[in-house]
Amino acid sequence: MKILRLKHICFLIGCVLVGNFSVAAQTLSIIGEVKTPLTLSINDLKAMPQTQLKAKDRDGKEHEYGGVRLVDLFQKAGVTLGGELRGENLTKYVIARAADGYEVLFSLAEIDEEFSGCTILLAHTVDGQALPQGIGPFRLVVPDERRPARWIREIKTIEIRFAK
Amino acid sequence: MKLLTSILSLFLLAGFLALKSPRHDARLHPYKLEYPSSFGSRFVIPENNSLTEEGVTLGRMLFYEPLLSKTNTISCSSCHQQSLAFSDNRRLSIGVSGKPTRRNSMSLANLLWVKNLFWDGRVSGLEAQAAFPLIHPDEMGQSLEISAKKLSKTRLYPPLFKEVFGTATITGEQITQALSQFERTLISADSPYDRYLEGKYQLSATEKRGLELFMRGPAPERGVRGANCAHCHGGVKLFQEVFHNNGLDSIAVQDKGRQEITGEASDNGRFRVPTLRNIALTAPYMHDGRFATLEEVLDHYNQNMFHPSNLSHELRTATNTEGGKTLGLTAVEKKDLIAFLHLLTDSTFITNPAFANPHPNTKTKPIR
Repeated sequence: MKILRLKHICFLIGCVLVGNFSVAAQTLSIIGEVKTPLTLSINDLKAMPQTQLKAKDRDGKEHEYGGVRLVDLFQKAGVTLGGELRGENLTKYVIARAADGYEVLFSLAEIDEEFSGCTILLAHTVDGQALPQGIGPFRLVVPDERRPARWIREIKTIEIRFAK
Repeated sequence: MKLLTSILSLFLLAGFLALKSPRHDARLHPYKLEYPSSFGSRFVIPENNSLTEEGVTLGRMLFYEPLLSKTNTISCSSCHQQSLAFSDNRRLSIGVSGKPTRRNSMSLANLLWVKNLFWDGRVSGLEAQAAFPLIHPDEMGQSLEISAKKLSKTRLYPPLFKEVFGTATITGEQITQALSQFERTLISADSPYDRYLEGKYQLSATEKRGLELFMRGPAPERGVRGANCAHCHGGVKLFQEVFHNNGLDSIAVQDKGRQEITGEASDNGRFRVPTLRNIALTAPYMHDGRFATLEEVLDHYNQNMFHPSNLSHELRTATNTEGGKTLGLTAVEKKDLIAFLHLLTDSTFITNPAFANPHPNTKTKPIR
């Protein structure tokens, strides 16, 4: 009992000390085969054109996600899209990496809406609220996919590479 | 004329050195790594340290070489014992200073596939990793330069280094390169679980139930019970390179884990999710060895976790009861899981003579 209580007190102290990590300090980087590498804060993202879309998460329920289309971010970084997405540029791929080291891959063509017809969102809100800790501040949302394994949580880095 | 001869001989010498410098002369034999195709080839071996039979043999001798320690009493194998899947049985290890190390000794299995080493992933590549324990004052406590000097004074090592690296003098870099070559060969792929995957091992009833719990995430709304272990420890290698906070403390103060490397508060208390290969052999558990048994580990995940705000998402949400706050496995389910975990013990790996102490007739002191 005593141990239990001590544990609860520790937990409360922990909440105060760790509390909410400063979301403003957490950034997203876009690096690799880009004209301009970017490191963006939540405020940088909020200053860009926002998109809302509805998609089903792992819970099977539909949620409304808000954020910036990945294709817009790639345009800002100067990634080869649209008319430039041809020839050897079609051998480019994208590694998205989370804070815990989890990695998933897309082909660059998947990200380009003109090419694939799909929108991939770099979300920072769900149902009007900031993404909770452990999921945000940033998460990819790939609405047309049946399994959300590439909806990478706590995304930190997006790297564009050439397949060699 | 004399000048011309000198220039010519210089060119010849330069040409000879150029041929010699990519150090693999034809006398060395490439080492063939063998592993199941399901393990895949997602690994990188540095171009300047490709594996050779001779390099691996030298690395193995160095792994068991106490001369690499300040006191000539500790080798890599002191804290990484083959019979324990290259870990030790202490909460924290004891090196040359007698003072406990900061963290629990990690098992060295299938490091070929690991990019960033240590509990906190602080270094990339085995060559860079090896220098840490060699130098650390509480581990082996000796600079690479002194180690190289001590080896140079033996009768045993200079010809071996010359054979592998083609140079007359031994360097610290060569020591870490040879050690890495040996470590890349420490492949564990022959546990009963591996044999089950190949259709060569029949699970008992309890092992089968354990496997199902291990692999499945709980979904009480659909009547599915699970322990969700595979989410982080899954795959044929039973390893994914991720760093999570698993609720050991409400806040990690003494040892902040990955936060100490990245400087980010959200990495507080995040540590490597280790491989579960040979897990029954590598007690005690966690980065600080706080749990003595697998039962204690399961109790932690089942009901004793703290919930810091950066607790691993999967740990936060997994429950076997609708609206439940804990995993909620029964005593029988925990026993089944432990039966499954014992299937991960690879007795071929821990008895493979190719990984054993090569120095004859003595446990710690090699013959010179």
